[in-house]
Amino acid sequence: MNAYAPAISTESTRGVAERLKQFRIIPRLEAHPAVVSFAQTVAGKFVLLALFGAGMAYFVKDWLALSLCLALFTFIPSRRRLLVTVSTLMFTFAVPWRSFPLKWYTVSMIMLSMALGGMFFWCAAKFPRSWYGRRPVFALLSSYAALILAASCIPQSWTLWGPLWLFAHFFSTYVWFIGYSLLDHNAADRDPFQFQLGSYRPFWGSTNTPFAKGAAYLRRIEAKDGKQLAVTQLKAVKLLSWALLILLFGRLFDYCIYQYLGIPPFQMALALSVKRTPLPWYVCWASLIAGFFGGIISLCVTGHSIIACCRMAGFNALRNTYRPLSSRTVAEFFNRYYFYFKELLVDFFFYPFFLRYFKKNRKLRLVAAIFAAACFGNAFYHFGRDLIFIQRLGLVGAIVNYQVYLFYCLVLATGISISQLRHRNPAPAGFIRGQLLPSTLVVFFFCLLDVFGSTERNYLLSEHFRFLSHLFNLNL
Amino acid sequence: MDRIAEVCQFLKTLLAGRGDRQPFTDSTSLFLSGRLSSVDAVELVVLLEELCGIDFAETGFDQSMIDSIDAIQLLISEAGVPR
Repeated sequence: MNAYAPAISTESTRGVAERLKQFRIIPRLEAHPAVVSFAQTVAGKFVLLALFGAGMAYFVKDWLALSLCLALFTFIPSRRRLLVTVSTLMFTFAVPWRSFPLKWYTVSMIMLSMALGGMFFWCAAKFPRSWYGRRPVFALLSSYAALILAASCIPQSWTLWGPLWLFAHFFSTYVWFIGYSLLDHNAADRDPFQFQLGSYRPFWGSTNTPFAKGAAYLRRIEAKDGKQLAVTQLKAVKLLSWALLILLFGRLFDYCIYQYLGIPPFQMALALSVKRTPLPWYVCWASLIAGFFGGIISLCVTGHSIIACCRMAGFNALRNTYRPLSSRTVAEFFNRYYFYFKELLVDFFFYPFFLRYFKKNRKLRLVAAIFAAACFGNAFYHFGRDLIFIQRLGLVGAIVNYQVYLFYCLVLATGISISQLRHRNPAPAGFIRGQLLPSTLVVFFFCLLDVFGSTERNYLLSEHFRFLSHLFNLNL
Repeated sequence: MDRIAEVCQFLKTLLAGRGDRQPFTDSTSLFLSGRLSSVDAVELVVLLEELCGIDFAETGFDQSMIDSIDAIQLLISEAGVPR
C-alpha cells in the first residue's frame, strides 16, 4: 500500500499541473460545436458584431464605421477580398478626411504612393525575366533609399524641398506594403492589383510594418466556408477581449509603478544619468524593467486589437505577440515579441540572403543571413521610418545620431546568431533548467539591450554605456 | 526511406522540439498555422536542398511552398526529383 502512495501523489500532482496548463482566462469558445453553430446563424453574427463593435470602441474612435465594414464582411463573405480594398480605401481617404491638414495635398500624396506601388507591381508582373522582374524588392528599396538621399541633398531654399520630403514621408508608410505585393508577383495564384491595393495599409490598422503581411498571406489564411468564418470571428472576439484585459492590466501596472511606487520612466532615468545626477542603481533597474514590461504590454494591446479586427474580417492571422516571456532562446523571443516585424525582416532580408550566399558553409550562411536581417534590415527599416531625423539633421547628422540603434542592431544580431547556433543542442529536461532559467536569461538579455533600444536618439552611445555601467553600480 | 518519409520524420522532430506532439496529415498547415516558425523553415530548406537538390535561389521561395506535406510533395515533383 505504502509503495503505491507516492505514485498516486505524483499522478494527482500531474493532473493538477495538466489542469492548470489547460486553464484559460477566456474560454476556448471556438472549441464548442454549439457556439460555432450559433455563430453561423444571423442572430449569432449580430451578437458577435455587437460584442466586437463594443470592444473596438475602447480602441478606435471610428469604431462605428469599422463595425459597418465588418458587418459587410460577415454577411457578404464571397466578396471579402474586394471588400478589403473598398474598406481600406474608405479608411485611407473618407474616414480620416476631416483630420487631414491639407486635404487635397494629402490625398494626392497618398494616391501618388499607391500609384507608384501599382507601377512597381505592374512592371514586375509584365517583365518577370528582366533584371527588374528578378529583383523587384531590391529595386524598390534602392529607389526608396535614393529618394531619401535626393531629398536630403536638395537645399532647403528650393521649392521642391518641401513636396519631396512630404512625399518621402507618405511613401515611407507604404514601402513595406508595396514590397509584400512585389514578393507575390511570381506566384501562380497572384492577386490582381485591385486586391493587392487592399493590403496597402489595410483598414484594420498597421504600423509601418504590414500586419498580416501582404495579399499572398491573406489569400492563404482567409476563411473558406461559413464554419471557418465563425471560428475565426469567435477567435477575433476572444483576442479583442484579451486585448481589453491587457489594456486594463496595463493601466493598473502604470498606476502602481509610476504613481504609487514613484519609479521614474526609463527616459527620465537616462536623462538624469546624462546630466550626471543619476538615480540610485536599483531605481535605474526598476525603471528599466518597468519600461521593458510596459513595452510588452503596449505592443500586446496594439497588436491584438489590429489582429482581432483582421480576424473579424475573416482572415485567421497569427497573433503579433504570443507569450514572449516563455521564450527559451533569444531568437524565439524575437519571434514571439513582434511577429510581423520579424516576418518582414525574414521575408525581405533573411531569405534572399540565406538562399543565395555562402551555401557551402552552413554556420557562416546562417550567421550572415541573420546579420543581413536583424542588423542591416532592422537598421534600414528604422532609419527609413524615422525620416524626421534625416530632415532635421541632414543625412550625415542622422547617421551619426543613429549610432545607438546601430549598436543595438549589432548586439541583437550577435545574440540571435549565438542563440541559433546553440539551439541545435537538445533542451535540458525539468522546469527550472528547461524553462525558467533560459526564459529568465532571455528576458534579462532583452531588458539590458533595451538600454540601447529604447532610445530617442538624443544622446551619444557613451551615455548609454554610462547608464549601463551605473546599473551595476559602476560609475564611469 | 524515401524522401517524403524522411521529410515527415524531420517535421515530427521539429514539432517535438517545440513541444508539439499533435499529429498532422499530408494537408495540415504547419507554417501558416504557426505550428512551426520561419526558424524551422530555414532548417527544412536546408534539408530539401541537401535531400532533393532544390535551389530555392532559382525557384524562388515562399513559406507556403513548404507549408504541408502535400505542398512539399508538389515542390519535389516540380523540381523533377524522383521519390
